[in-house]
Amino acid sequence: MPRTTALECPGCPPLRALTFDALGLIKVIEARGKEGGVPKVVEKWGDPDASKSLLAASIDDRKTEPLLAVARKSGAVEILNPVSGELCCAVTNGGDANVRPDDDAIVGLHLFRKNRMDSASRSCILFTCTTKGNASVRSFEITNSPTDSGSSKTWKVSASGNILCSQVDGSENYSLFGGKNVEVNMWDLKEGTKIWTAKPPPKNSLGIFTPTCFTSVAFLSKDDHRKFVAGTNNHQVRLYDISAQRRPVISFDFRETPIKAVTEDLDGHTVYIGNGCGDLASVDIRTGKLLGCFLGKCSGSIRSIARHPEHPVIASCGLDSYLRIWDIKTRQLLSAVFLKQHLTKVVFDTNFTEEEIVHPVTNSQVRESEIGIEMQTLDDEEKPPVKRKKSSKEKESKNKVVNKDGGTKKSKSRKRSKGVEAEIADDE
Amino acid sequence: MGGKRKHSDDGEGAKGGDEGNNSISKKMKKSEILPSMIKNKEKRSAEHAKLKHQKKVEKRKKLKARDAAEKRALELGEEPPPKMIPRTIENTREADETVCKPDDEELFAGNDADEFSSILKQDQIPKILITTCRFNSTRGPAFISELLSIIPNAHYYKRGTYDLKKIVEYAKNKDFTSIIVVHTNRREPDALLIMGLPDGPTAHFKLSSLILRKDIKNHGNPTSHKPELVLNNFTTRLGHRIGRLIQSLFPQDPNFRGRRVVTFHNQRDFVFFRHHRYIFETKEDKQSDSKDKKAKDAKGENTPKEKVVARLQECGPRFTLKLMSLQHGTFDTKGGEYEWAHKPEMDTSRRRFFL
Repeated sequence: MPRTTALECPGCPPLRALTFDALGLIKVIEARGKEGGVPKVVEKWGDPDASKSLLAASIDDRKTEPLLAVARKSGAVEILNPVSGELCCAVTNGGDANVRPDDDAIVGLHLFRKNRMDSASRSCILFTCTTKGNASVRSFEITNSPTDSGSSKTWKVSASGNILCSQVDGSENYSLFGGKNVEVNMWDLKEGTKIWTAKPPPKNSLGIFTPTCFTSVAFLSKDDHRKFVAGTNNHQVRLYDISAQRRPVISFDFRETPIKAVTEDLDGHTVYIGNGCGDLASVDIRTGKLLGCFLGKCSGSIRSIARHPEHPVIASCGLDSYLRIWDIKTRQLLSAVFLKQHLTKVVFDTNFTEEEIVHPVTNSQVRESEIGIEMQTLDDEEKPPVKRKKSSKEKESKNKVVNKDGGTKKSKSRKRSKGVEAEIADDE
Repeated sequence: MGGKRKHSDDGEGAKGGDEGNNSISKKMKKSEILPSMIKNKEKRSAEHAKLKHQKKVEKRKKLKARDAAEKRALELGEEPPPKMIPRTIENTREADETVCKPDDEELFAGNDADEFSSILKQDQIPKILITTCRFNSTRGPAFISELLSIIPNAHYYKRGTYDLKKIVEYAKNKDFTSIIVVHTNRREPDALLIMGLPDGPTAHFKLSSLILRKDIKNHGNPTSHKPELVLNNFTTRLGHRIGRLIQSLFPQDPNFRGRRVVTFHNQRDFVFFRHHRYIFETKEDKQSDSKDKKAKDAKGENTPKEKVVARLQECGPRFTLKLMSLQHGTFDTKGGEYEWAHKPEMDTSRRRFFL
């Protein structure tokens, strides 16, 4: 008999993930079944067109009216409904008209969650950042014809160098930028001022200075903007603490190829890193110790890692055009889906529950909301507002719980990290 | 001793039985004595030889029976029994979901969008830059001169002491569409780097068993016509990409007068390169003359049987490529992202292939 070693995948918990690829397609992957659901592509949105290649995505997965923002290579930002995939509106990047979008691709995109929560109106705030360093925060109404509602703010992050990564923190007040020949810097989004810049590490013993090139950044926890992790092109992972010093608190090497994706865990000290050769690992950032690698014959560069907020599961995707879902405890591959194109980004839709058939309900909701919010409120006066309040309250409470947990853990971690710092200081 | 005696009994039984495999196998099962269990070497070897001979006889019998059945079926005008397909490593390869299906629309959309489509649609004429590693001697230049004769519109540039990244920049400015770098180690070419320009992928191949033209017996000398290209067995997604990368080295409008064929044949992830000249010759069919005279009579004598025979003459080098890595973008060892890189943990099965 031929000996073959087929991958036995135990299957993954019920989840719904969206992947974005280089051909401009958005694919929805769903896994159903209590134990060992096999994820499948259930929907495919968009037409294959290389000029509309997807570069970045951000999801606001609330219970009601979830939104998804995607940035395309052509410079357009589209706002979609992540449940049905219908286009809510499209905005072109309000940069210079004479700059070709190819040169000034969008690298960072963030859909604000906070402000939408307060105002029930159909407006949203969008943060974008391009390679050339043009960052902007814009708010606009979601209508068929995009109209800027005036409150847009644009600024230049860096004069020279290319921005390769940017990130907005959990409280949505601060953002990070980093890139080729650009040290990581943090901006206050309200004020529009730069509040912190990193310092390059000193020259090594031979007097050689390695040029800075940051390829990925991630905030360590949702409610603390002071600590963040950055991955560099020369395969270094660094932890910065802006309250401590301008140089990295911890810095360590990971393998030989550039770090391409960094994602934080919910516990506030574990970090997942993926590199240009397909190695995926989890690291305890308090000590800089490798917890373990995710092994599974993955050979293409990892572009994006996503942590599921409820299940102990992460998803990774990249140039090998597989979406892989891993268990974070055992670090086993739960399943892999072949998606045929180079993937650029993966996000989880957390509102997915398997029993309830999500689509019609939410669709109807969306339609209702499209018809008019007033109607909705008139028709079923009690339900939606209560629901909304409830959901928001729930969310808040959840957040609080998380905060508490995170807080306690964090205090520990802070202590520990302080200890580490002290050690480092001692070493120095 | 006991074992021995038992065994000799067994042998007698086999001789006595002589009916074929059934009785022997039964007895073997009963006593479970293998030649390797006999301690006396002479007896053991004798027993082994006997067993081997029996097996041979059986096999011959089986073959004969099969042939006879087939012949009978043909005579009776029935369907001959289906031919057995031997089990090879290729046809028992591990199931791979990345194997491209011809009705996959997304595949074609992806192909239209990739870096080679402008060349393959003949919007652009391929122009190749060939260079070497820093130190290059003996077989390296000879191999390059043969590559130049194979690939039309290829230009050799001396490497000098330039960085490969600088060369890439230069080639981009000069509108080259691909770069080939021949790497030599100990005066023997051992690696090939094929790079698509301006932003195409970079494939790194291991090059082995290189035989140059002058070492091939009865080799031909190729003409300067544009060759035809044969790409065999590039089935998976990665294989398609490699195939298209190779395809983009050659002009897409072959000159059929030249009767030159360049073949890249993939088998078990090894890509074999051959370069041939072919000719179609019309020959009088000797076999039909001698054998089927009756048929000839029936058909009419004035039409001499003619048969078209294709003959091949090998020219140009022979070599084997094995993909080591495929990098996204042009050559960049430090900051490069790999689309595919060979890792030792992939080699856990003999039946897993990637191309």
